[in-house]
Amino acid sequence: MRRSNLRWLAVPLLVLPLAWLLFTGLGRDPREIPSPLVGKPLPAISGTALDGSAFSSSQLAGKPALINVWASWCAPCVTEHPLLLDVARQHADELQLIGVLYQDTADNARAFQSRYGDGGWPDVDDASGQIAVALGVTGPPETFFVDALGVVRYRHVGPLTMEVLDERLTALGIEP
Amino acid sequence: MRAAGFLAAAFGLLVLAAIVVAFALQQPSAGTPQEQAQRLAAELRCPDCESLSVAESRTAAAAAIRQEIDAQLAAGRSPDEIRDSFVARYGEWILLEPRGAPLWLVAPLAVAIGLGVLVWWLAGRRDRAAAEPGPAPPPSDPERARLAREVEQLDG
Repeated sequence: MRRSNLRWLAVPLLVLPLAWLLFTGLGRDPREIPSPLVGKPLPAISGTALDGSAFSSSQLAGKPALINVWASWCAPCVTEHPLLLDVARQHADELQLIGVLYQDTADNARAFQSRYGDGGWPDVDDASGQIAVALGVTGPPETFFVDALGVVRYRHVGPLTMEVLDERLTALGIEP
Repeated sequence: MRAAGFLAAAFGLLVLAAIVVAFALQQPSAGTPQEQAQRLAAELRCPDCESLSVAESRTAAAAAIRQEIDAQLAAGRSPDEIRDSFVARYGEWILLEPRGAPLWLVAPLAVAIGLGVLVWWLAGRRDRAAAEPGPAPPPSDPERARLAREVEQLDG
Protein backbone atom coordinates (compact mmCIF):
# COMPACT_ATOMS: atom_id res chain seq x y z
CA MET A 1 0.00 0.00 0.00
CA ARG A 2 2.74 2.44 0.95
CA ARG A 3 4.67 1.55 -2.20
CA SER A 4 1.71 2.33 -4.46
CA ASN A 5 1.27 5.69 -2.68
CA LEU A 6 4.88 6.55 -3.51
CA ARG A 7 4.24 5.54 -7.08
CA TRP A 8 1.44 8.06 -7.36
CA LEU A 9 3.78 10.71 -5.99
CA ALA A 10 6.22 9.95 -8.81
CA VAL A 11 3.71 11.05 -11.46
CA PRO A 12 3.42 14.72 -10.37
CA LEU A 13 7.15 14.71 -9.55
CA LEU A 14 7.92 13.94 -13.18
CA VAL A 15 5.07 15.81 -14.82
CA LEU A 16 5.16 19.10 -12.89
CA PRO A 17 8.78 20.09 -13.69
CA LEU A 18 8.19 19.17 -17.33
CA ALA A 19 5.01 21.25 -17.44
CA TRP A 20 6.84 24.15 -15.81
CA LEU A 21 9.66 23.89 -18.36
CA LEU A 22 7.23 23.91 -21.28
CA PHE A 23 5.17 26.72 -19.78
CA THR A 24 8.11 29.07 -19.19
CA GLY A 25 9.68 28.11 -22.53
CA LEU A 26 6.52 28.84 -24.50
CA GLY A 27 5.89 32.06 -22.58
CA ARG A 28 9.12 33.58 -23.84
CA ASP A 29 9.22 35.72 -26.96
CA PRO A 30 11.51 33.83 -29.32
CA ARG A 31 12.16 36.99 -31.35
CA GLU A 32 13.75 38.71 -28.39
CA ILE A 33 17.48 38.08 -28.55
CA PRO A 34 19.06 39.21 -25.30
CA SER A 35 22.26 41.20 -25.42
CA PRO A 36 24.58 41.39 -22.44
CA LEU A 37 25.11 45.04 -23.38
CA VAL A 38 21.54 45.98 -22.41
CA GLY A 39 21.66 48.03 -19.22
CA LYS A 40 25.37 48.74 -19.66
CA PRO A 41 27.15 51.78 -21.09
CA LEU A 42 27.72 51.64 -24.82
CA PRO A 43 31.29 50.40 -25.47
CA ALA A 44 33.58 53.09 -26.79
CA ILE A 45 33.51 52.89 -30.57
CA SER A 46 35.15 55.14 -33.11
CA GLY A 47 35.92 55.25 -36.80
CA THR A 48 35.73 57.29 -39.95
CA ALA A 49 32.36 58.12 -41.49
CA LEU A 50 31.70 57.79 -45.22
CA ASP A 51 31.92 61.57 -45.61
CA GLY A 52 35.44 61.48 -44.17
CA SER A 53 34.56 62.94 -40.77
CA ALA A 54 35.77 61.28 -37.59
CA PHE A 55 33.22 59.63 -35.33
CA SER A 56 33.54 58.70 -31.68
CA SER A 57 30.79 57.40 -29.41
CA SER A 58 31.79 60.03 -26.83
CA GLN A 59 30.05 62.56 -29.11
CA LEU A 60 26.71 60.90 -28.40
CA ALA A 61 26.34 61.94 -24.76
CA GLY A 62 23.29 64.04 -23.87
CA LYS A 63 20.82 62.76 -26.46
CA PRO A 64 19.31 59.34 -27.14
CA ALA A 65 20.83 57.55 -30.13
CA LEU A 66 20.03 54.75 -32.54
CA ILE A 67 23.02 52.80 -33.76
CA ASN A 68 22.04 50.89 -36.87
CA VAL A 69 24.38 48.19 -38.15
CA TRP A 70 23.77 47.64 -41.86
CA ALA A 71 25.26 46.65 -45.20
CA SER A 72 24.38 47.33 -48.82
CA TRP A 73 24.25 43.56 -49.50
CA CYS A 74 21.68 43.04 -46.73
CA ALA A 75 18.13 42.71 -48.06
CA PRO A 76 16.30 43.33 -44.74
CA CYS A 77 18.30 46.58 -44.47
CA VAL A 78 16.49 47.78 -47.60
CA THR A 79 13.17 46.95 -45.91
CA GLU A 80 13.89 48.96 -42.78
CA HIS A 81 15.58 51.88 -44.53
CA PRO A 82 12.38 53.94 -45.14
CA LEU A 83 11.55 53.64 -41.41
CA LEU A 84 14.97 54.98 -40.47
CA LEU A 85 14.56 57.87 -42.93
CA ASP A 86 11.18 58.68 -41.32
CA VAL A 87 12.56 58.53 -37.79
CA ALA A 88 15.53 60.73 -38.72
CA ARG A 89 13.19 63.33 -40.22
CA GLN A 90 10.60 63.29 -37.44
CA HIS A 91 12.98 63.36 -34.48
CA ALA A 92 15.89 65.29 -35.95
CA ASP A 93 16.36 67.42 -32.83
CA GLU A 94 15.85 64.81 -30.10
CA LEU A 95 17.47 61.67 -31.53
CA GLN A 96 20.82 60.93 -33.13
CA LEU A 97 21.18 58.26 -35.79
CA ILE A 98 24.46 56.53 -36.45
CA GLY A 99 24.98 53.92 -39.15
CA VAL A 100 27.69 51.30 -38.84
CA LEU A 101 28.68 49.80 -42.16
CA TYR A 102 29.21 46.06 -41.68
CA GLN A 103 31.56 44.12 -43.97
CA ASP A 104 30.98 46.37 -46.92
CA THR A 105 32.76 48.88 -49.15
CA ALA A 106 32.24 52.63 -49.09
CA ASP A 107 31.36 52.63 -52.81
CA ASN A 108 28.60 50.05 -52.36
CA ALA A 109 27.27 51.96 -49.35
CA ARG A 110 27.10 55.21 -51.36
CA ALA A 111 25.33 53.41 -54.20
CA PHE A 112 22.79 52.10 -51.63
CA GLN A 113 22.22 55.64 -50.35
CA SER A 114 21.72 57.16 -53.78
CA ARG A 115 19.25 54.39 -54.63
CA TYR A 116 17.24 54.17 -51.39
CA GLY A 117 17.77 57.62 -49.93
CA ASP A 118 20.39 59.28 -47.76
CA GLY A 119 19.10 60.44 -44.37
CA GLY A 120 22.19 62.53 -43.77
CA TRP A 121 23.29 60.74 -40.59
CA PRO A 122 26.92 59.64 -40.26
CA ASP A 123 27.73 56.12 -41.48
CA VAL A 124 30.85 54.78 -39.84
CA ASP A 125 32.81 52.38 -42.02
CA ASP A 126 33.69 49.33 -39.91
CA ALA A 127 36.10 47.83 -42.43
CA SER A 128 38.20 46.09 -39.75
CA GLY A 129 35.11 44.70 -38.02
CA GLN A 130 36.23 45.99 -34.62
CA ILE A 131 33.04 47.98 -33.98
CA ALA A 132 30.94 44.89 -34.74
CA VAL A 133 33.08 42.88 -32.29
CA ALA A 134 32.77 45.61 -29.64
CA LEU A 135 28.96 45.55 -29.98
CA GLY A 136 28.66 41.77 -30.24
CA VAL A 137 26.98 41.98 -33.65
CA THR A 138 26.03 38.67 -35.26
CA GLY A 139 24.79 40.08 -38.57
CA PRO A 140 23.00 43.06 -40.08
CA PRO A 141 20.58 44.60 -39.55
CA GLU A 142 20.96 45.18 -35.83
CA THR A 143 19.91 48.33 -34.02
CA PHE A 144 21.01 49.50 -30.59
CA PHE A 145 18.79 51.92 -28.67
CA VAL A 146 21.00 54.08 -26.45
CA ASP A 147 19.58 56.54 -23.91
CA ALA A 148 20.77 60.08 -23.22
CA LEU A 149 23.16 58.80 -20.53
CA GLY A 150 24.88 56.50 -23.03
CA VAL A 151 23.36 53.29 -21.64
CA VAL A 152 22.21 50.61 -24.09
CA ARG A 153 18.47 50.12 -23.49
CA TYR A 154 17.56 47.63 -26.19
CA ARG A 155 19.11 45.71 -29.04
CA HIS A 156 16.97 44.76 -32.00
CA VAL A 157 18.12 41.96 -34.29
CA GLY A 158 16.58 41.93 -37.76
CA PRO A 159 14.72 44.62 -39.68
CA LEU A 160 13.06 47.31 -37.58
CA THR A 161 9.28 47.58 -37.63
CA MET A 162 6.99 50.48 -36.83
CA GLU A 163 5.84 48.72 -33.63
CA VAL A 164 9.38 48.14 -32.37
CA LEU A 165 10.38 51.72 -33.13
CA ASP A 166 7.28 53.19 -31.44
CA GLU A 167 7.70 51.04 -28.34
CA ARG A 168 11.44 51.50 -27.91
CA LEU A 169 11.58 55.19 -28.76
CA THR A 170 8.81 55.81 -26.20
CA ALA A 171 10.97 53.94 -23.67
CA LEU A 172 13.78 56.38 -24.47
CA GLY A 173 11.43 59.28 -23.74
CA ILE A 174 10.71 60.18 -27.36
CA GLU A 175 7.07 60.52 -28.40
CA PRO A 176 6.62 58.65 -31.66
CA MET B 1 17.78 -8.07 -7.88
CA ARG B 2 21.29 -8.25 -6.46
CA ALA B 3 22.71 -8.43 -10.00
CA ALA B 4 20.80 -5.29 -10.98
CA GLY B 5 22.20 -3.49 -7.92
CA PHE B 6 25.74 -4.46 -8.86
CA LEU B 7 25.13 -3.33 -12.41
CA ALA B 8 23.89 0.07 -11.24
CA ALA B 9 26.86 0.48 -8.88
CA ALA B 10 29.33 -0.49 -11.61
CA PHE B 11 27.73 1.99 -13.99
CA GLY B 12 27.91 4.75 -11.38
CA LEU B 13 31.62 4.07 -10.84
CA LEU B 14 32.19 4.15 -14.60
CA VAL B 15 30.51 7.57 -14.87
CA LEU B 16 32.57 8.86 -11.95
CA ALA B 17 35.79 7.62 -13.57
CA ALA B 18 34.82 9.30 -16.85
CA ILE B 19 34.24 12.61 -15.03
CA VAL B 20 37.62 12.44 -13.29
CA VAL B 21 39.41 11.63 -16.56
CA ALA B 22 37.58 14.44 -18.39
CA PHE B 23 38.63 16.98 -15.76
CA ALA B 24 42.21 15.72 -15.75
CA LEU B 25 42.41 16.09 -19.54
CA GLN B 26 40.98 19.61 -19.38
CA GLN B 27 43.86 21.14 -17.44
CA PRO B 28 45.20 23.74 -19.87
CA SER B 29 48.83 24.68 -19.89
CA ALA B 30 50.13 28.12 -20.80
CA GLY B 31 51.97 28.36 -24.09
CA THR B 32 53.31 30.92 -26.50
CA PRO B 33 50.97 33.84 -27.33
CA GLN B 34 50.25 32.16 -30.68
CA GLU B 35 49.21 28.96 -28.93
CA GLN B 36 47.10 30.90 -26.43
CA ALA B 37 45.44 32.86 -29.24
CA GLN B 38 44.78 29.65 -31.17
CA ARG B 39 43.28 27.99 -28.08
CA LEU B 40 41.03 31.00 -27.36
CA ALA B 41 39.92 31.19 -31.00
CA ALA B 42 38.99 27.51 -30.90
CA GLU B 43 36.75 28.15 -27.86
CA LEU B 44 34.79 31.01 -29.41
CA ARG B 45 31.87 30.60 -31.77
CA CYS B 46 32.10 32.36 -35.10
CA PRO B 47 29.26 34.97 -34.97
CA ASP B 48 28.12 34.57 -38.55
CA CYS B 49 28.48 30.85 -39.16
CA GLU B 50 27.48 29.46 -35.72
CA SER B 51 28.65 25.86 -36.02
CA LEU B 52 32.32 26.70 -36.49
CA SER B 53 34.83 28.10 -34.09
CA VAL B 54 36.55 31.40 -34.77
CA ALA B 55 39.76 29.43 -35.38
CA GLU B 56 38.19 27.38 -38.17
CA SER B 57 36.11 30.07 -39.84
CA ARG B 58 37.27 32.26 -42.73
CA THR B 59 34.59 34.95 -42.41
CA ALA B 60 35.46 38.60 -41.84
CA ALA B 61 33.76 38.55 -38.42
CA ALA B 62 35.94 35.62 -37.30
CA ALA B 63 39.02 37.44 -38.59
CA ALA B 64 38.03 40.53 -36.59
CA ILE B 65 37.69 38.42 -33.44
CA ARG B 66 41.07 36.75 -34.00
CA GLN B 67 42.57 40.22 -34.42
CA GLU B 68 40.92 41.33 -31.17
CA ILE B 69 42.29 38.27 -29.35
CA ASP B 70 45.80 39.07 -30.59
CA ALA B 71 45.45 42.72 -29.57
CA GLN B 72 44.24 41.83 -26.07
CA LEU B 73 46.99 39.22 -25.58
CA ALA B 74 49.55 41.79 -26.72
CA ALA B 75 48.10 44.20 -24.16
CA GLY B 76 48.93 41.63 -21.49
CA ARG B 77 45.45 40.38 -20.65
CA SER B 78 44.96 36.83 -19.45
CA PRO B 79 42.99 34.25 -21.47
CA ASP B 80 40.28 34.33 -18.78
CA GLU B 81 39.92 38.11 -19.05
CA ILE B 82 39.75 37.88 -22.84
CA ARG B 83 37.12 35.16 -22.68
CA ASP B 84 35.08 37.29 -20.24
CA SER B 85 35.35 40.33 -22.52
CA PHE B 86 33.75 38.36 -25.36
CA VAL B 87 31.04 36.97 -23.10
CA ALA B 88 30.29 40.55 -21.97
CA ARG B 89 29.62 41.53 -25.59
CA TYR B 90 28.04 38.47 -27.17
CA GLY B 91 26.76 36.58 -24.11
CA GLU B 92 27.50 32.98 -23.10
CA TRP B 93 26.40 32.05 -26.59
CA ILE B 94 29.83 32.95 -27.98
CA LEU B 95 31.45 30.12 -26.01
CA LEU B 96 31.28 26.83 -27.88
CA GLU B 97 31.33 25.05 -24.52
CA PRO B 98 29.05 26.67 -21.93
CA ARG B 99 30.54 27.47 -18.56
CA GLY B 100 28.96 27.06 -15.16
CA ALA B 101 27.01 23.89 -14.46
CA PRO B 102 28.46 21.11 -16.62
CA LEU B 103 25.48 20.49 -18.87
CA TRP B 104 26.92 17.23 -20.20
CA LEU B 105 26.27 15.77 -16.75
CA VAL B 106 22.56 15.79 -17.61
CA ALA B 107 22.82 12.77 -19.94
CA PRO B 108 24.61 10.36 -17.54
CA LEU B 109 22.37 11.62 -14.71
CA ALA B 110 19.27 10.88 -16.77
CA VAL B 111 20.54 7.37 -17.50
CA ALA B 112 21.37 6.81 -13.81
CA ILE B 113 17.91 8.00 -12.74
CA GLY B 114 16.33 5.78 -15.39
CA LEU B 115 18.30 2.76 -14.14
CA GLY B 116 17.28 3.56 -10.57
CA VAL B 117 13.62 3.72 -11.52
CA LEU B 118 13.94 0.44 -13.42
CA VAL B 119 15.55 -1.33 -10.46
CA TRP B 120 12.90 0.09 -8.12
CA TRP B 121 10.12 -1.10 -10.41
CA LEU B 122 11.61 -4.59 -10.81
CA ALA B 123 12.05 -4.88 -7.04
CA GLY B 124 8.43 -3.80 -6.52
CA ARG B 125 7.23 -6.48 -8.93
CA ARG B 126 9.24 -9.18 -7.18
CA ASP B 127 7.94 -8.11 -3.74
CA ARG B 128 4.39 -8.20 -4.96
CA ALA B 129 4.90 -11.67 -6.51
CA ALA B 130 6.29 -12.91 -3.16
CA ALA B 131 3.43 -11.39 -1.19
CA GLU B 132 0.76 -12.95 -3.44
CA PRO B 133 -1.27 -15.60 -1.48
CA GLY B 134 -0.62 -19.22 -2.50
CA PRO B 135 -3.47 -21.79 -3.04
CA ALA B 136 -6.19 -21.64 -0.39
CA PRO B 137 -5.55 -24.01 2.60
CA PRO B 138 -7.75 -27.12 2.74
CA PRO B 139 -10.92 -26.63 4.85
CA SER B 140 -10.71 -27.67 8.48
CA ASP B 141 -12.88 -30.46 9.98
CA PRO B 142 -15.61 -28.23 11.49
CA GLU B 143 -15.81 -26.44 8.19
CA ARG B 144 -16.16 -29.77 6.34
CA ALA B 145 -18.98 -30.77 8.65
CA ARG B 146 -20.75 -27.44 8.08
CA LEU B 147 -20.39 -27.77 4.32
CA ALA B 148 -21.72 -31.32 4.36
CA ARG B 149 -24.72 -30.14 6.39
CA GLU B 150 -25.43 -27.35 3.97
CA VAL B 151 -25.23 -29.66 0.97
CA GLU B 152 -27.62 -32.06 2.66
CA GLN B 153 -30.07 -29.24 3.34
CA LEU B 154 -29.94 -28.21 -0.31
CA ASP B 155 -30.59 -31.79 -1.39
CA GLY B 156 -33.43 -32.12 0.99
